[in-house]
Amino acid sequence: MAAREGVGSSALMTAIHSRDSRRQVVIVGGWRTPLARAGGVFAREDAGHIGAAIARETIARCNIDVEDVDEVIVGCAGPPHDQANVGRVIGLRAGIPERVPGRTVARNCASGMEAITEAATCIEAGRGDMYLVLGVEMMSRFPLIMGDRLTRFFAKLSSARSLGQRVATLASFRPSMMAPRIALMEGLTDPISGMIMGKTAELLAREWNVSREDADRFALESHARAKAAREAGILKREIVPFLPIGAREGQHALAHDDAVRDNQSMESLAKLKPYFEKPDGRVTVGNSCGITDGACAMIVASADRARELGLTPLAKIRSWSYAGLDPARMGLGPVFATAKALDEGGATIADVGSIEINEAFAAQVLACAKAFDSDTFAQEKLGRSAKLGTLDMSRVNRNGGAIAIGHPVGCTGARIVLTAAHELQASDRELTLATLCIGGGQGGAVLLERAS
Amino acid sequence: MIDIAGLPTPKDAPPAGVCVRIERPEKGLIRLVLDPPHRTLPVFDMPLLRDLDLALDVVEKDAGITGLVVTGRDTKTFAAGADIDAIAALTDRATVGRVVAIGQNLFERIDALSTTRANFTSVAAIGGAAPGGACELALACSFAILCDNDATRIGLPETMLGILPGWGGTTRLPRRIGLAKALEAILSGKLYTPREALRAGLVDRLCAPEDLLRIASDIAMRRTRIERRSRGAAKFFVDMNPLAVAFIASAAKKQVLSRTHGHYPAPLMAIDIAARANRSSTSASFKAEREAVQELATGPISKNLIRIFELSESAKKLKMLTNGRNAAVPTRVGVLGAGVMGRAIASSSADRGAWTRLFDIVPAALDTALIEHRADVESRLKKRKLQKNAADRALDRLDVTDSLVGFANVELVVEAVAERLDVKRKVFQELARQMKSDAILATNTSSLSVDAIASDIPHPERVVGLHFFNPVKRMPLVEIVRGTRTSPEVVARCAAFALALGKTPVVTKDCAGFLVNRLLGPYLDESLRLFAGGIDPARIDRSLRNFGMPMGPLALLDEVGFDIAGHAARSLHEAYGARMTPSTVLDGLVAEQRLGKKAKRGFYEHSDDRKVKPILAGDLHRFVPANSVRIRDLSDAEIAQRVVLAMLAEAARALEEHVVASARELDLATVFGMGFAPFRGGLLAWADTIGARAIVQNLEAIAREPDVAARIGGPERFASCTLLARLARDDAKFHAT
Repeated sequence: MAAREGVGSSALMTAIHSRDSRRQVVIVGGWRTPLARAGGVFAREDAGHIGAAIARETIARCNIDVEDVDEVIVGCAGPPHDQANVGRVIGLRAGIPERVPGRTVARNCASGMEAITEAATCIEAGRGDMYLVLGVEMMSRFPLIMGDRLTRFFAKLSSARSLGQRVATLASFRPSMMAPRIALMEGLTDPISGMIMGKTAELLAREWNVSREDADRFALESHARAKAAREAGILKREIVPFLPIGAREGQHALAHDDAVRDNQSMESLAKLKPYFEKPDGRVTVGNSCGITDGACAMIVASADRARELGLTPLAKIRSWSYAGLDPARMGLGPVFATAKALDEGGATIADVGSIEINEAFAAQVLACAKAFDSDTFAQEKLGRSAKLGTLDMSRVNRNGGAIAIGHPVGCTGARIVLTAAHELQASDRELTLATLCIGGGQGGAVLLERAS
Repeated sequence: MIDIAGLPTPKDAPPAGVCVRIERPEKGLIRLVLDPPHRTLPVFDMPLLRDLDLALDVVEKDAGITGLVVTGRDTKTFAAGADIDAIAALTDRATVGRVVAIGQNLFERIDALSTTRANFTSVAAIGGAAPGGACELALACSFAILCDNDATRIGLPETMLGILPGWGGTTRLPRRIGLAKALEAILSGKLYTPREALRAGLVDRLCAPEDLLRIASDIAMRRTRIERRSRGAAKFFVDMNPLAVAFIASAAKKQVLSRTHGHYPAPLMAIDIAARANRSSTSASFKAEREAVQELATGPISKNLIRIFELSESAKKLKMLTNGRNAAVPTRVGVLGAGVMGRAIASSSADRGAWTRLFDIVPAALDTALIEHRADVESRLKKRKLQKNAADRALDRLDVTDSLVGFANVELVVEAVAERLDVKRKVFQELARQMKSDAILATNTSSLSVDAIASDIPHPERVVGLHFFNPVKRMPLVEIVRGTRTSPEVVARCAAFALALGKTPVVTKDCAGFLVNRLLGPYLDESLRLFAGGIDPARIDRSLRNFGMPMGPLALLDEVGFDIAGHAARSLHEAYGARMTPSTVLDGLVAEQRLGKKAKRGFYEHSDDRKVKPILAGDLHRFVPANSVRIRDLSDAEIAQRVVLAMLAEAARALEEHVVASARELDLATVFGMGFAPFRGGLLAWADTIGARAIVQNLEAIAREPDVAARIGGPERFASCTLLARLARDDAKFHAT
């Protein structure tokens, strides 16, 4: 078989056969904080505090006894430097007994999903029965970093022994050394392709013929759906109001995702200039995901353990997968990962009632939709004879997506799984899907099934 | 050997030489270990002092000894100061004088060794609590080192018990750290943590418990150099300067008087002795200490303060279960209702380390609760009373929710929702469905019956009242209200919880007003009656403050709020009948929305600026009811007597009905629940000084006053119940010996 991105059929057969003997993994329940604009009301929070708070609330609302938790797994792409293993810190701050270990996992944008699938892997391997998992990211707190020249300057200064050495080192100082490195910007740039994320979306927009207008329209729809969901109170099933550190007397807990623009319009979107490729680009800040802070916690357990403890799960995990692809076209990750996950789960797109696909960029999502719908793509890239299926956009991101509510990197992977789990209740089909593209050239997908 | 004949000695006193172990870890070094076998917590009682004397004889006779270490039996135990029980029992000045002299002389001998013997170094090596006499022993040594652990505290709390440090502390401390700092320590009675003690200069060094004895030996044998902080220039310019000293002393006196209104002589005498300590001879200063303690210890104020201290200590026993073990403190607590009381209870619970879940249907109330709690933690962090990780812990311990979910693993819930029976019952029923059957359902109600709330709740034995006082963080009393079905185990667990919050619990029956509010009812109402009868409101409040109450009754009504006070008064009236008939004065004020402090206007006008004292409103004459009978001109003492006797008559009834276990609990509740003059020892202790006969006569006289006789319930309020009548007949005391 020629080398290609995607899954080989022998591996597929093994996966299907062993799936039946694996332990069933369920999501007992989950809750998230609202997502707040970076630099806004959550700006003084830190991952340890906000993560522990949503963890405690989730444990309480799911009626979990902390003594039953086997491990704490937290997805976070950029943990605070003074809480490097933020998973351990969150566990202890949430009242989990100290004998229960905790770890932090990372897979860029899918770190929150990685925490869930790691728990599932451990359960299937028989290493444990109940896991507290989180996805958390404080985009506001990505640091400004000292440049290399300034770092070397301070190192030389502290190792200077004589007055002469010290004076000489001080004299070598140049103001240009002070220019900081903006960790957030650097973090969003892929080192292999050298492309910042927005540029990969531009590439897909050109290759898949997604126009500026298409992208803007999709962005508008995301805001409109998010606004409608808020007004209908749909997300009360997922969101716990949160009062952040730094709130002053008279201020109130945030109850809704606050980055949603209620008055978004095609006119105001059209006014924006392309951000990543001037002057002809199609990707603007208006049709890209917002930058927000937030945390999402979940209890993942074996179906047996949930039954023993008398818990009613929210969803069963049917299958999941990660797939690698060209970093320059990372936006197509969902297509690759979904293909694998559907195969492993023995399902097709027709079985999926609702899809949460992370809106990194409008152009990227639209490119994915076209790739899902393309026989050529399926044959050339996925090793399949026919397309995966046409996506019914009315079933995709029903309640809006990251363009409206933002993409706290480590949190999103868990957030979309939680929303997909809730969508099962309203769905007319057996399954729901959560999938996202991952900076660096990957895709992740989780397929969920009704619990009862 | 000192002669301890005739001095108070415990019954199980061991034979001579046993209480102080003499160890010789190396040549030239002697280590004295305070280890009296008859005390779990060592105390400087006669046997220990006698054996310390014998040990010092050994040290003095052996010229080869150049190092002395005094230490406790382990790093969590030193000695708890002088024998308070013994002092409380003393009534004879001469005996007190001997006890004081013994301690002074012993410690002076330790001090003298450093001056008379070349290179002699003494070290107090302390782990555990070292209050009072124990601290004075440390001050007499060349150096004092403390274990840096949670169990260790040091200070001079004698003035809290109505005496002052009489074993050289009032002399040595100002010489060591200067007058201002010494007064701060002595007048506050504070027990310093190791770091605070080091910062204040009370001790010379800290160390880890495992290193205590080794480092003490190194210092005593001068292998480790250690500098005692010298006062330097301050010694000349401040300590020896009569003007500076006079200034500091007078400022301190002003502060003491404003707090104590002249009722407590001990702090004032301590200021005088400390002020002269730097410029008088040691013997003169010691003599002054001795004479002061002789006067104070035999006086009633000290006896009363010691009694109250002992009462509050014995309240700790309430957490003991029937199997002799202490009830566990709950680690998961719930609070329902984020009003003023609820959020303060939740914040206290979170501060003390319990995972606390606060519920309210109004999200804004939850926001306020969180903001207040965080601000409180933040301010303690800023004042360095907390480290960052401890502050994070306190923040993490409080969660809020606006839906009644997530209480399944909560061990104890305190409800502080609206004062409506149907609401409370509904919320307890809902919780009972979620929570385990042995989880405690406690109510903070002040006007409803615990039994009524408990009816139809499964496992009613776990329903109990846990009545806090406002403001929760400052008021030390908690009433644990037993319903008829409440189990003793639940009471013990509630006591453990209350004690963990730093409160003092008192167990009461489930009657209207429980204890404190039932007594406050007539106290406050009678004050209103006096106001209605034309007595100047300023005089009413002043008279009661002079009597020793922390604030006047009208000021207290402002604090409580007239709506709440009115509601409470109506409950008492409904339950107890005519004698609790409320005055109509508050109705007029409430009608104008003038509810007291919360509305910024009541009897007083309250400024937004907390530093500005409330001023009596100028238009109060408008609220004197038109048809009230004028009261004759009463003296200040008569005003106080009327109001306090109204309360006392009710206290006698409450005691007769066994609302609390005994007169002791009643006194404890009055002191801790309403601030009843501690120097008087509590309401019934005061009554005993007057005598039941005089009280009955005074009550009858008041009942005959025209305004009392004319009003509904007047004579009933001042009637003597059966108990009181019997005490009068037998000339007996409330506090039977």
